[in-house]
Amino acid sequence: MGNVKNGRRAVVVAGARTPFVKAFSEYIELDAIALGVLATRALLKKVDLPYREVEGIVWGGVILPSGAPNVGREIALDLRLDPGCEAYTVTRACASGLQAVTLGAAAIERGEADILICGGADSTSNAEVKLPQKLVHAFAPLALGKPTPADYLSAAPKLLPLTELIPRQPKVAERSTGEVMGESAERMARRNEIPREAQDAFALRSHQRAAAAIASGRFEDEVFPVQGAGGKWVHTDTLVRADSTMEKLAKLRPAFAREGTLTAGNSSALTDGSAAVLLMSEEKARALGYKPLAAFASWAYTGVDPSDQLLMGPALAMPKALARAGLRLADIDLVDMHEAFAAQVLSVLKMLASPAFARSRLGLDEAVGEVDPERLNVHGGSIALGHPFGATGARMVTTMANELARTQKKTALLGICAAGGLGAAAVLERID
Amino acid sequence: MNDWLVEIGQNKQARSMIRSLGLPVPVPEKLVRDKGPWSAAPLRDQPALAGAAEGSALVSEIATALASAGADPYVAASDAHEAAFRAAGEAYGRPLRRATELGEGKRVHALVFDASGIEGAAGLKALYDFFHAHIDRVARCGRLVVVGRTDPRAEPERALVATALEGFVRSAAKEVGRKGATANLILVEPDAAQHLEPVLRFVLSARSAFISGQPFVVRARAAHRPNGKVPFVRPLDGKVVLVTGAARGIGEATARALGQEGAHVVCLDRPADDAATSKLARDVGGTPLLLDVTDPEAPRRIADTLKGLGGVHAVIHNAGITRDKTLLRMKADLWDQVIDVNLASVVAITQAVEPLLKAGGRIICLSSIAGIAGNVGQTNYAASKAGIIGYVRALSEKYAERGVTVNAIAPGFIETRLTAAIPFVVREGGRRMSALGQGGLPIDVAQALVFLASPGAQGMTGQILRVCGGGLIGA
Repeated sequence: MGNVKNGRRAVVVAGARTPFVKAFSEYIELDAIALGVLATRALLKKVDLPYREVEGIVWGGVILPSGAPNVGREIALDLRLDPGCEAYTVTRACASGLQAVTLGAAAIERGEADILICGGADSTSNAEVKLPQKLVHAFAPLALGKPTPADYLSAAPKLLPLTELIPRQPKVAERSTGEVMGESAERMARRNEIPREAQDAFALRSHQRAAAAIASGRFEDEVFPVQGAGGKWVHTDTLVRADSTMEKLAKLRPAFAREGTLTAGNSSALTDGSAAVLLMSEEKARALGYKPLAAFASWAYTGVDPSDQLLMGPALAMPKALARAGLRLADIDLVDMHEAFAAQVLSVLKMLASPAFARSRLGLDEAVGEVDPERLNVHGGSIALGHPFGATGARMVTTMANELARTQKKTALLGICAAGGLGAAAVLERID
Repeated sequence: MNDWLVEIGQNKQARSMIRSLGLPVPVPEKLVRDKGPWSAAPLRDQPALAGAAEGSALVSEIATALASAGADPYVAASDAHEAAFRAAGEAYGRPLRRATELGEGKRVHALVFDASGIEGAAGLKALYDFFHAHIDRVARCGRLVVVGRTDPRAEPERALVATALEGFVRSAAKEVGRKGATANLILVEPDAAQHLEPVLRFVLSARSAFISGQPFVVRARAAHRPNGKVPFVRPLDGKVVLVTGAARGIGEATARALGQEGAHVVCLDRPADDAATSKLARDVGGTPLLLDVTDPEAPRRIADTLKGLGGVHAVIHNAGITRDKTLLRMKADLWDQVIDVNLASVVAITQAVEPLLKAGGRIICLSSIAGIAGNVGQTNYAASKAGIIGYVRALSEKYAERGVTVNAIAPGFIETRLTAAIPFVVREGGRRMSALGQGGLPIDVAQALVFLASPGAQGMTGQILRVCGGGLIGA
């Protein structure tokens, strides 16, 4: 949690990411491992670090290939990093990327490593469609053993009724409640009284700021080109709509409930992409001649009841991270929140601003505070850029670390909600 | 063995035939019960209509209880009271809505009225105003709750309010009982408001399905400062609870319900029942203890077992027998057995385990409606069960300083093996003499026992809580 032991601090040296694209489009042939390889290679090229220096990879992802779930290790092997470069992969839903980065930072602070690559990727296009378990149970003995004709015959009746064999379309639904995430967010919008106009306005701002960042070249340092399907090169995030307007957003139909307020326009979309961050111990970074961008003052992970308000986790995690860093919201220069849904961000902002919430749920005397819209998601967020689940946390760390260095501001607060009723937050501070 | 009228009531054709023929058959509503472990939000998304009399001061506790239990609040109160509901709504994502937003004929699960501001006879009109307008809105198996103040040292003009609320609630219980709904009263003594929320939560939840027309008195008498907040999920985690007579019936249901809430249950019953008791202890992950409660060695052996477990949080004296005979025909041993099991051993065991009770501990005894009202052939039983009442009241005063609460549950007609053996006509009489028009189940008593054992019930001590479905006879 940012406890600096023996004076060792883990610093963010650099970050790199692929452009994010809509699922089932340009990156359809690139699985999570391939995307991870691209980001890691680009990152190492950018900082000109010899491959043998990388001691380990901590990687995050949600849709992990069933045959090779340790994506981090596969990246190390595919890239032919030193065989001694160990690696592991973690999963914490949409906060997997941030989880990977904070785990790497913790390991460096404990003295377990000096140079780590931490990041995440997800290829929704390559999500495996699961065969119904009935089919698996019927055929596994045949596939794994030495089946006789009698075995085949006895397997056949297990397939009935045939309708149960049709693979089901995977939905982003909670296992414990069966609720689709959009429905949970729709309920949150109602319970926190977030109107449609506010959600659309927030989404519009995300697109406008992302478009401005792309146009001004702000992302050129972070985003590298990728060659996708059919040899086509992708240079920038393809989901950003520079020409979005309130009128266009207002025309969209509700996506999750008949009289709902959430639409495809004010929700994040299924996306492919990856992002990687280079972490070093401060001492090593300076010894190798790198200028560190930022370090973690703190991080925090929380859980809430998924059947109550699934995506309110950051409302508990962000105050926790602030407390651990010994800071107040008023002290924070930049706030970056993952935009799963505009309604979700606006609900969390309302909770942070509510004194009653702070007293009842956080045990504080006053509200955490109002987040200044000018400081929030200054270059857009997941609604405009897209949300490859495992990559988002690493994207946010990269963008905020760079932003602190560029603007010479001091602190940034990150907040991410995740499936399963989880929340994640971190405080980054610039290093001089 | 099922209640035949409740079963008929479940059959649509039978119900419509009874209605169309105009038969005077009181078909009781099948009660909604919660058999599962306590959940964080037992009122998930259910609408609750809340009102308050002028000058009422318990609104913020009520608002917090409703919001944190997951209810959607509709408020029929002044602006001053709305502020409390708005704050609770912000904290729990349950935005304040006004009662006027409820459509014509829209039903609510609960009506909650804060009557703590009522100061005298004239002020009772506020009760009429709120409930006259809204009592029809109570849904099937819903809840009607009045929250009021009581003060043992109040002036007579104010003292009348608490009992007036009681009379009101007893009648209201009989009016809504037909729908399977309950009506109860919570009286809060001075300085006891912090103990209100868990009691309100229990009364509003499905776990209080068979409790109706009863007053719950919340007091600051047995003070105990626990670490951290009162838990609403797995409230008995890691706590040792002794249940006597655990092998079957109410005892078994109680042991299972306690086990679900994380308690380590010491299941005690006679050696003759060792199979059932051992199986039960295995099922709930507890400890079996085989002995006869009337054995002179029993108190010491129980104390040794509990000492070996590091002490005990709650003792539930459930073991009890009947030996019915009219007094003239009752032989001495029938008298002795009943007094011994139901009363003398309760006293002896309690004395022996007293040093092992943890702070914030619980003694809970089983009394009985028969003990309160009396029955032909039950002079022995009624003496023992009424004796429990006096014992509990006095013991609660003695243990109050230690933060240990002492209460009793008085079950009404509960469907068990024992009551199944009663002749049909008498049994029907027993079943139907309640506002809910049906017998209770062992789980109803068990849930009440679990509640009294839980940390949230710290505000209740010296109480005799009837679990009787709103018995028609007596108060």
